[in-house]
Amino acid sequence: MANIEHAGATHAEHGGHAEHDHKPIGFWHRWLTSTNHKDIGTMYLVFSCVMFFVGGSFAMLIRLELFKPGMQFFDPGLFNNFTTMHALIMIFGALMPAFVGLANWMIPMQVGAPDMALPRMNNFSFWILPFAFMLLIGSVFVPGGGLAGGWTMYPPLMVQSGYALPMAIFAFHLMGASSIMGAINVIVTIMNMRAPGMSLLRMPMFVWTWLITAFLLIAVMPVLAGAVTMLLTDHFFGTSFFNAAGGGDPVMFQHIFWFFGHPEVYILILPTFGIVSEIIPTFARKRLFGYDAMIYATASIGFLSFIVWAHHMFTVGLPLASELFFMLSTMLIAIPTGVKVFNWSATLYRGSLSFEPPMLWALAFLFMFTIGGLSGLMLAMAPADFQYQDTYFVVAHFHYVLVPGSVFGIIGGVYYWLPKWTGHMYNMKLAKWHFWLSTVFVNVLFFPQHFLGLAGMPRRIPDYATQFTDWNMVSSIGGFCFGASQILFPIIIWQCVRGGERASGRVWEGAQGLEWELPSPAPYHSWVEAPAMATLEHGAPVHQTHG
Amino acid sequence: MDPRQRRQARRTALVLALVALALYAGFIAYAVLQHTHH
Repeated sequence: MANIEHAGATHAEHGGHAEHDHKPIGFWHRWLTSTNHKDIGTMYLVFSCVMFFVGGSFAMLIRLELFKPGMQFFDPGLFNNFTTMHALIMIFGALMPAFVGLANWMIPMQVGAPDMALPRMNNFSFWILPFAFMLLIGSVFVPGGGLAGGWTMYPPLMVQSGYALPMAIFAFHLMGASSIMGAINVIVTIMNMRAPGMSLLRMPMFVWTWLITAFLLIAVMPVLAGAVTMLLTDHFFGTSFFNAAGGGDPVMFQHIFWFFGHPEVYILILPTFGIVSEIIPTFARKRLFGYDAMIYATASIGFLSFIVWAHHMFTVGLPLASELFFMLSTMLIAIPTGVKVFNWSATLYRGSLSFEPPMLWALAFLFMFTIGGLSGLMLAMAPADFQYQDTYFVVAHFHYVLVPGSVFGIIGGVYYWLPKWTGHMYNMKLAKWHFWLSTVFVNVLFFPQHFLGLAGMPRRIPDYATQFTDWNMVSSIGGFCFGASQILFPIIIWQCVRGGERASGRVWEGAQGLEWELPSPAPYHSWVEAPAMATLEHGAPVHQTHG
Repeated sequence: MDPRQRRQARRTALVLALVALALYAGFIAYAVLQHTHH
């Protein structure tokens, strides 16, 4: 502590911070016009939580229809609308805003900055989102039905949509603008506002992974916007970008879409890598093994994400050389990802482990994300992919990456930093129940989908052959129980916001990094004076990291 | 944030925004060229 002098310590020494807070007065004034990174982070996280349950409701309807063969409740068009909305809401409404919320809360505190670099743009980035999702969710109810072409929006199917198409495309532009502004803010904050002494190779891993994610966002969100703009002009203005009858090429859409879509997958997982890289060292009470290698591995994954896109398109009729290139480049990703998995494992090795809720979620992430990664390697093999393409095996694969991967990472991150945000400890027992129910049922939900896919069950269908019944029933039961167990999450958070045992500044015994030097709850304005940290390493004072 | 830092932040943000716009326009231009080429 000797080398850290800052406003936060002053708060802590005075045993309080309320007198320094200067929060805006009045509910609407505070939340509508806020430029405070913590307020905006909170709004992003609340928005994400709401969308998680909206998107989850669509998933419940999907599993309800698939509980047994035959048409039960919904016609095929509506079912396809559910799958489309589930994906779009979960990706753009739940996961991405959750990461931006965590970035808003944690990056300024972790780099020793008083706020994000562009606070008014930060407010604007957030407040675009509710309007975007009003449009997107509203598109379900317009004449002609909602979007039913899947989140990939392939033409020519997509351009056959009714009024839902322009609404969704406008929503994508808004979401894209929001994401790009958020990413610019993250980059500018990290590049310009780090505390003196915090060189790039001393930044916490969460900050590093978000920096790389932000560059990916800026590189690919405009590509999605371009692709959907062309869909719009094909539909309304008589162009033929993707219309074969007019000399266009529908496969070109797939190339452009996946040039966005594959880096997007990494946008959804890299910040989780950062969160897990914060949690594991804390509860192993060791420094992160191979910090530099972790950064280079993350950057390599970011780079490789741009040269693998056509592995989503092996069956469209690519030249053999292209198939080989995309197969091998995809397999290359296993190397940096393996570096990360082994480094996390090495951090655990001979650590003084304890199993508080954040650690449980991080460990579950480690095991189950690896399952998703390995099935991804199977899908990377072009000849094998011809068999797996468009089956439930693919659904099982990406859900293992996104649910026990991204979602578990986000939940782990919330449980990790929640006492810092609220100043209270949460109900550990209930949080462990949340963990165990989620971990058991997420496997009941998704593991059987591997079997269904290998047996040949296609994805995006409301009905199926009777031989798939048993595993579909198991999967649906897992889905309902997983969905129900998530209700614990907002309950635990709400209880923690309202009160509970007081959290210390450091919260977790092994926690390191600048955010833990602040009192809990973190003052409304933190690091008003930059911390002086000549001896800082990886966001934490050297004498602590070497402990 | 001192004025120098603020100027630097705005400059970085502007460059990044221009990169995003260029990518948007670039991909559409690429598709137009593909189309006219056929």
